[in-house]
Amino acid sequence: MSLLDYMKGVWAARYFWWHLSMSDLRARWRRSFFGVFWSILQPLGLTLLLSLVFSNIFGSTLGAYAPYILSGMIVWEYVTTTVIGGASAFVQAAPYIKQTKHPLAIYTLRNVLTGLCVLGMASTALIIWVLVVFPQNLSWSWFAALTIFPILAMIAWPWATLMAYIGTRFRDLPHALGLVMQAMWFVSPIYFETSVFRKGNLHVLLDFNPIYHLLQIIRAPLLSGEWPTAANYLWCFGTIAALSAAAVLVGRFAERRVIFYL
Amino acid sequence: MTNRIRLQSVNLHYASVGFRERSLKSMLLSLASLTREREKIVDIHALKNLSLNIGPGERVGLIGHNGAGKSTFLKMVAGLYPISSGKRAVEGTIRSLFDLSLGFEPDATGRENILYRGLLLGLSPKFMRSIEDEVVAFTDIGEFIDYPIKTYSAGMQVRLAFAISTAVGGDILLLDEVIGAGDANFIGKARKRILELVEQAEILLLASHDFVTLQSICERGIVFHHGEIIFDGNIFDAIASYNKANGIATE
Repeated sequence: MSLLDYMKGVWAARYFWWHLSMSDLRARWRRSFFGVFWSILQPLGLTLLLSLVFSNIFGSTLGAYAPYILSGMIVWEYVTTTVIGGASAFVQAAPYIKQTKHPLAIYTLRNVLTGLCVLGMASTALIIWVLVVFPQNLSWSWFAALTIFPILAMIAWPWATLMAYIGTRFRDLPHALGLVMQAMWFVSPIYFETSVFRKGNLHVLLDFNPIYHLLQIIRAPLLSGEWPTAANYLWCFGTIAALSAAAVLVGRFAERRVIFYL
Repeated sequence: MTNRIRLQSVNLHYASVGFRERSLKSMLLSLASLTREREKIVDIHALKNLSLNIGPGERVGLIGHNGAGKSTFLKMVAGLYPISSGKRAVEGTIRSLFDLSLGFEPDATGRENILYRGLLLGLSPKFMRSIEDEVVAFTDIGEFIDYPIKTYSAGMQVRLAFAISTAVGGDILLLDEVIGAGDANFIGKARKRILELVEQAEILLLASHDFVTLQSICERGIVFHHGEIIFDGNIFDAIASYNKANGIATE
C-alpha cells in the first residue's frame, strides 16, 4: 500500500480521530474546578518556582528568565507527553484496532492533536507574560512563532508513531523513553540559558541540536522580537524528514503485525 | 462491481512473540530453575490452506468447535489479521460485528454513543444524525437512550450496538456470535433485520453455535476443524459433518 493511500485512509477516518482527541480533552478536565485553566496554571506555577531558583543561580532577572523557561517547558512538555504517550498509543487503542481497520497512525495523531490543544492553551500564558514584561518585542515576527504548531505536529506525529510500532512489541519502551527524554532535556537549552552552554564551550549542544533550533522558532520572535533564522527552519525540516522516513520504513514492516502484539 | 470474497490457499500464523513471556523476571527464573525441558512456544498455525469463493447474495454459516478458527477467519476476511501466505481478495465494503461492547464511552449517553460508534465505523456526523431516529426506534430502550451507557444492562448495550452496526449497510456483513444476546423479542427483531440486510444482495458470514439460527438464516455452511475447512456446502449437511467430526451423536 502506498503512502498516499495510507494518508487517504487517515483522512477518511478524520471524524473518528477528531472525536477521540476531543473526548480525551473532555476526560482530562472532567469534574475539575479549574478545568481547562489547569493547562495554563500548571506551567505558570512551575515556571515561577523554577525561575525563582535559577535566576538566583545564574544571576539573571526573574522577569526576563521566566518566559525563557516557560517557552522551553511547554514545548518540551508537548514533545515528551506526545512521544511517550504515543509509545503506548496502540496498546491503549487495542479495542478499536481489533475491531475496525483504520490506518494505525490515527491513534498517535490523537495524542498529537490533544497535546496541541493543551499547548495552545499554555502558550497564552507565555504571550501574556511577554506582552507585560517585554512589550517592545511585539512585532510582525510573532507570526513566525505560530509556525511552531505545524512544525511540532509534524515532528511529534512520525516520532510517536515510530515509538508506537516499537512500543507495542517491546513494552519496556515507554519506561526507557522517559529516561532518554530526560537525557535529551539535560543536554539541551530547555531550562538552561544558551549562555551557560556557550560559556562552557559546548557550542555543539546548541548549533547541532534540533531542540535548540526548534525552540528558537518560538523564542526568537517572543523573547527578542527577531525572526527565526533559515538555519532554525532547516534543522526542523531535517528532523521532520528523518523521523518520517524512519516511521515509514518501520511501518512498512510493522503496521500489519501490530494486531498480533496487542 | 460485484461483491465477492476469493481466497486461494490462505494460511495464517499467529506470531508467538505476541504472547510469549519475555521479561527479565522470567529470564532469571528460567536460569535459576534447573529444569531444562521448558515447553517451547511456537507460532500458531490458525488457518491452514483455505481456498473458497463466496459470491453476492450468499448467506454463509461458519461452524466449528471452540478455537477451530471461525473468528480468526472472520477477522482475516475483514483485513484485520495479515495472512502469511496465499491470496486474499475481498471486493465490497465490509461491516463487522465482533465485540459489541467495544467503542462505547461509558460516561456518554446512548444517543451520543450512536454518533461515536458511527464515527468509529468511518461514517460522517451528518449521516449519523440522519439515521439517529431510526436507530433509537430499533433499540427500543425507551428513555434510557438519554442516560449514560454505564447505567445500561448488558442486553441493552448489545441492542444499541446491534442497532447502530446494522443500521449502516455494508456490502459484506461479518457477524461473530452476536445474535444470541438480548431477550426473545429482540432476537426475533434482530433476525428480521439481518434478513433484510442480506436481501439487499449482500454477503453474510455468520459464525455461531446456534444451529437453529444458522439453519433459518444461512443456506451454505462451512465447517472448521483445527484451522482447516473440512466441509463446504449445504448448511444441513454441514451441521451433520460438524457433528460427525466432533463425535457428537445424532439420532
